[in-house]
Amino acid sequence: MQISDLIYIGHLWEFVAAFLAGINYKKFKGSKEKYFLHFLWFTLVIDLIGDVLGDFYEVENYFIYNLYMLVSFPFFYYWYFSILKKRTHKTYVVILSSVFLIAAFWNLIVQSWEVYHKYTFVTGALFTLTCAIFHFWQLLNSDEILEVKYKLSFWISTGLLLFNMGMIPFMLLSEYFDFSTNAYYFFVIIGLNLILYGCYSLGFLWVKEKYNRS
Amino acid sequence: MGQGEVQSFLIVFSVIALSLAVTVVVLFVLFQKRKNRLLKQRAMDKEAFEKELSETQIEIREETLRNISWELHDNIGQLMTLAKIQVQMEGSGNPQLDEASETMGKAIQELRALSKLINPEALKSLSLAEAVQLEMDRFNRMQFLKASLEVKGDSKPIDPKEEIILFRILQEFFSNTAKHSKASELRVLLSYTDSYLAITAKDNGVGFEQKRDAYSGIGLKNMRNRAKLVNAHLELFSEKNEGTQLKMTYNFVD
Repeated sequence: MQISDLIYIGHLWEFVAAFLAGINYKKFKGSKEKYFLHFLWFTLVIDLIGDVLGDFYEVENYFIYNLYMLVSFPFFYYWYFSILKKRTHKTYVVILSSVFLIAAFWNLIVQSWEVYHKYTFVTGALFTLTCAIFHFWQLLNSDEILEVKYKLSFWISTGLLLFNMGMIPFMLLSEYFDFSTNAYYFFVIIGLNLILYGCYSLGFLWVKEKYNRS
Repeated sequence: MGQGEVQSFLIVFSVIALSLAVTVVVLFVLFQKRKNRLLKQRAMDKEAFEKELSETQIEIREETLRNISWELHDNIGQLMTLAKIQVQMEGSGNPQLDEASETMGKAIQELRALSKLINPEALKSLSLAEAVQLEMDRFNRMQFLKASLEVKGDSKPIDPKEEIILFRILQEFFSNTAKHSKASELRVLLSYTDSYLAITAKDNGVGFEQKRDAYSGIGLKNMRNRAKLVNAHLELFSEKNEGTQLKMTYNFVD
């Protein structure tokens, strides 16, 4: 077993979160978070396809992840757009999404499809962070703060905030380290995945129907 | 991977881990603080609402009493006076009718006294001691218990609105004494000092077992709620066959 095989553990967290989302689906199907069920399974399928292509057919599989980013980040933005209530926040989300899409398509055109488009990721992650902070601001200024533990959107935002905060510096520093042979890199990735999907899982476990209606 | 690279990697790793931890702590503290503030706010709102509710209840009660007082005084009182005159005209010289007329006269007097004691407007013009004295007189006239009032210290003016509430608390106590206690004696002491007024009311009746009797239900709760409304401290002591005692302290300055 190679060190890079550890990445499968990350997929295991993903599966746990998607599974918990499935069995608790009826508790949040009335909310704006309901599409996270489909999104998590979609992510899992993409990762598995990436693994199959990369590990079995030994194809350069970065293009899958580059395309995936074009789905995942806009998905988050769309979700935040629908749950944020302040008009200015919504406007910012629209602006950020447009900037992200332009950057992402630009990278698809000018960069090779055989490398990971890390600047697309960094842009997307930064904007997701911003959206998460908007959402926290909204929660802090509403009565919902009393039942925050039962709110799925809180846990998803916490997960996204921590994951992206950790990932951004790693992506930016990846030029200076040779991550492909570095075991620590995998630990960090797995750790951050654990945080992200751990937060999702907590959210799906604790979600209560009456606090998650849209 | 070189030694230096591992080192700088570890530094970056630590910085990231630390900032994640700080973020979690900050988020937690921020949410907790906000939550506590909101809970406090809610508790305060609830208290304000309850106070409002008590005040409204009292207002409604006073309004009802005012109407009854008017009815007693203007309607029934007039009718009784008319009846008395009719009896007098009919029966001058007839001792039985004279006696009836005298009884009617007493009834009219009682009616007027009662009407005065339940009318908030009339009470406003009386001091607490005067109002209590009227109530005591009423009991003495009815002759089923011996009531007395003692005032110590120099009486001080009290906000009429609060005075009525204090008086209503005492009335509640008196009516319980009259209805349930089988007491033969009722004593009230108003003791004024510079900073507070101590009110003690005591009967020598059958008393009740605290916490068990029905008496400690709605009536007592009402008394407590009203006392809270004027920031008075209220205590009720009772034991089976030992009588009942009410102690209330009203502060002149908050």
